Amino acid sequence: MNIELSDITRKFGRNTAVDRVTLEAGPGVLGLLGPNGAGKTSLLRMLATILPPSSGQLTLLGRDPRNPADRREIRRRLGYLPQNLGYYPSFTVVEFVEYFALLKEMPPHLVTKAVAAAVEKVDLGSKAKAKLRTLSGGMLRRVGIAQAIVNEPELLLFDEPTAGLDPEQRVAFRALMRDFGQTATVVVSTHLVEDVGAACSEVALMSNGKIVFRGTPAELTVRGETGQGVGDAPLERGYSAILAAARA
Amino acid sequence: MSAVALSRPARVLRIEIRRSVVPWSVPLILALFFFDSYRTAAGFPPNWTVHASAITDNLAWDFAPFAAGLGAWVASREGRRNTGDLLATTARPAWARQAAALGATLFWLLLTFLAAVAALYIQVALQATWGGPPLWPVVVGAVQVVTLAVLGFTAGALFPGRFTAPLAAIGAFLLVFIGFHAALNLTPDSSTNALLSPATGLPLEDVGVFYHVAPDVAIAQVMFMGGITVALLGVLVVAPVFRVRGGLSGAVGRAGRPLCAAGVVLLAAGVAASWTAFALTGTAKLGVSGWDIPALHDAASDQPIPYTPDCAGTAFPVCVHPAFSGYLPAAAAALQPVAAELKGLPGAPVRAEEVPAGEGVRAAQGMLLPGMASPGVSGTPPVYHYDGNNGIAPFLGSPAGADNARWRAGFQQELLTEFIAGPPNAGPRPDASVLPPTAAQQAVITALMTVAGSQAQFGEDMTNGHPTAGATPAQIDAAAQRFASLSTAARHAWLAAHLPALRVGEITLAQLP
Repeated sequence: MNIELSDITRKFGRNTAVDRVTLEAGPGVLGLLGPNGAGKTSLLRMLATILPPSSGQLTLLGRDPRNPADRREIRRRLGYLPQNLGYYPSFTVVEFVEYFALLKEMPPHLVTKAVAAAVEKVDLGSKAKAKLRTLSGGMLRRVGIAQAIVNEPELLLFDEPTAGLDPEQRVAFRALMRDFGQTATVVVSTHLVEDVGAACSEVALMSNGKIVFRGTPAELTVRGETGQGVGDAPLERGYSAILAAARA
Repeated sequence: MSAVALSRPARVLRIEIRRSVVPWSVPLILALFFFDSYRTAAGFPPNWTVHASAITDNLAWDFAPFAAGLGAWVASREGRRNTGDLLATTARPAWARQAAALGATLFWLLLTFLAAVAALYIQVALQATWGGPPLWPVVVGAVQVVTLAVLGFTAGALFPGRFTAPLAAIGAFLLVFIGFHAALNLTPDSSTNALLSPATGLPLEDVGVFYHVAPDVAIAQVMFMGGITVALLGVLVVAPVFRVRGGLSGAVGRAGRPLCAAGVVLLAAGVAASWTAFALTGTAKLGVSGWDIPALHDAASDQPIPYTPDCAGTAFPVCVHPAFSGYLPAAAAALQPVAAELKGLPGAPVRAEEVPAGEGVRAAQGMLLPGMASPGVSGTPPVYHYDGNNGIAPFLGSPAGADNARWRAGFQQELLTEFIAGPPNAGPRPDASVLPPTAAQQAVITALMTVAGSQAQFGEDMTNGHPTAGATPAQIDAAAQRFASLSTAARHAWLAAHLPALRVGEITLAQLP
C-alpha cells in the first residue's frame, strides 16, 4: 500500500479539519470528493507531507514522514499539484519544471529528458520556452501538472487539477491520470464528479473531516439511484444522497 | 559546460541566476554609482588609497538599499508568490533552496559591485603615477554588500510581505548613515568601536603613500560584518523550526537535529566573531598611517615605504613624492617666483620637499615619525618641507585642479608664511607657541606675493588675539603696496637687515619702508 492512514486527525486550533480518518490506497486513481470545508485539502496536504497530523499514524510509500530521512525519500517519489498554483512569472515553462525536478532530487542526468517528456505530456511543447507570465490560466495549470509528474512519482496528489482546463485538455488529463494510476497511487481532490466517473477507480467522499463513503464510481452511482440524491447525473445524485445521509 | 555535467545545486543556481530580479536593478545602481561614487572620486588626487575610500564611503550608499531590498524581495518570493506548499513537498531542504536564491542575488550584486570597483580603479590608474590598487577596501566593501543582502534576505524570509523589501532598503540606508556618522565623528578621545563602520570619511590625501595602511581595521570590519552574516545564515537555518507547531522538541525532530545543530553553531560562531571584532576595535589607537589594533598589528607595516622623489626646477628645486608627480610642474612653477624673492636671505630655503601629511596631528599625539621631517623650513641647508594637507591643500583636487591662480597663491603664501612668520598651524590657538602673522609680517608676505603676481589672503582669524597694534586691513594693504613698489634690491636689502626682528614680531607697520 502506498498510503496507509490510521485514525488520522488534523486540528487547527479548535477546528478539526480531518477527523480520525483511516484509509489505505495502492496503485490506482482515488477520487476525493466532498463539499467545501470537508477536509479534502487538509488531508491532501498531510499526504503531501506539508502538514503533520495532530494525531494518528501516517505511512506513505512504506515510510514514516515524521522521520526526516524517510520524509525526504517520500518527497523524492511524490508529485503534488496544489489547488492554487504559485509560480515565478519570470521562469520559462522548462525552467519551472526543471527547477522542481532538481528540487525533487532527480538524478541530474535524467532531468533534461524528463522535463521535456513532462512538458510534452501536458501538450506544452510549443510553449516550452515561454515565460510563465505570458501563459493563460489553463496553460499554467498544465505547467503545474508537468512539475507534479516530472519525477514519475509513485504517489501523485492533485488538488482540483482540471479547474481552468478546456474540455479537450480535461479529457487528455483524465487519460494521463489513468496512465499514472497503472503503476502509481493517484489521489485527486475535486468538485467535478464527471472527473471522478471518467478517471477514478475508487472514490472517497468526505464530509466534516470524515470519510463517509468509500467505493467505486459505480457504487456511488448506485447510491444515487436508490437514495434521495439530487443532480443531473447519476454520480451527482449519489454524491448528494450520501452527503444528505451523512448530515442527517 | 553542458547541463548534464552540472550538479543539481549548480543547475538550480544557474536557473536562479538566469531569472534573478537583480539585473533589472543594475542600470539604476550603475547610474547612482556614476553620479555619486564615480564623479566624486574623479575629483580626488591620483592616490590609490584615497580613491579606494570611495568604495566604502560612496559605493556603500549606492549599494546598501538595493542589496538589502533585493535580498528581502527574493527571500519573500515564496510568500508573495504562494509557492510555499509546492516547494514544501520537494526533497531539497528549505535552506538549500534559499541558498540558491541568495547565491544568485549575491552573484549579481557582487558582479555589479566589482564592475563599479573596476571602473573606479581604472579611473585612478589613468592618473596615478605610483602605487597599485589596494585590495582591503574591496574586500570590506564586498563583505558589506553581502552582509546587507543577507540581512535583507533574512528579513524577507522571516516576514515575507510585500512591504518587507522597501522597509529593508530604508533600514539598510539608515544603517549606513549611522555608520558613516559614527566614523566621521571618530576622534582619538571617542569610542573607537566606531571603526567597525566601513566608512572612513575622506582620508588624508597622501594616505598609503609614505606609509602602508595597516589592514588591522579592515580585518576587524570583515570579522564583524562576516560574523553578522554567518549569524544571519544560522537564523535562516533555524527559523523554519520555530514555524512548525507542536512544541520545540517536535519541531526540532521534524526539521532534523543535525540541521538545527548546524544552525545553532552558525549563529553562535557569527555572534562570537562579531563580538571579538567589537572588542578588538575597542583597543584601537592612532598609528603612523591610521588606526592600529594591537592584537592584529604587524609592526613591520610601520616602516616608511621607500621612494625616490620627483624633482623639478634648477634655481629652486621642488620635489614631490612620485605619487604626486602630476602636480610637480604646477608646484615648481608656483614656488619659483617667491623663492627668488627669498634667495640669499639668512635661513632662506634652497629647495622644497614634500613630507607626509598629518605630521602635525601625529606630533600633537606625541607620535613623531622617525626619519621624517616636519612641515616648515628646517635643516642645513634650509629646506622647505611641505605636506599635502597644509602645504598644498588643493591637492585634494586632481592635478588639473592645481593649475589655477587660487591654488598657486595658497601654495606660495604657505611658503612665505612659514619663512616670515613660522608655521601657522603648529599648535592650537590661542596659546600656540607660534602666533599667526603680525600686521607687518602680513604686509611683507602680501608684498612679496604681489611681486610674484599673486594675491595674499588672510582670514580675520589670522589677526584675532594677536598684537596687530590696531592696524586695519587697509593700513596693511597700503604698507604692502609701499613695500612692493621698492626695487628688488631695496626689498632684499631691507629684508636681509630686518628679517630676524620681523620674524619675532618686533617690526611695526610704520617701520616698513
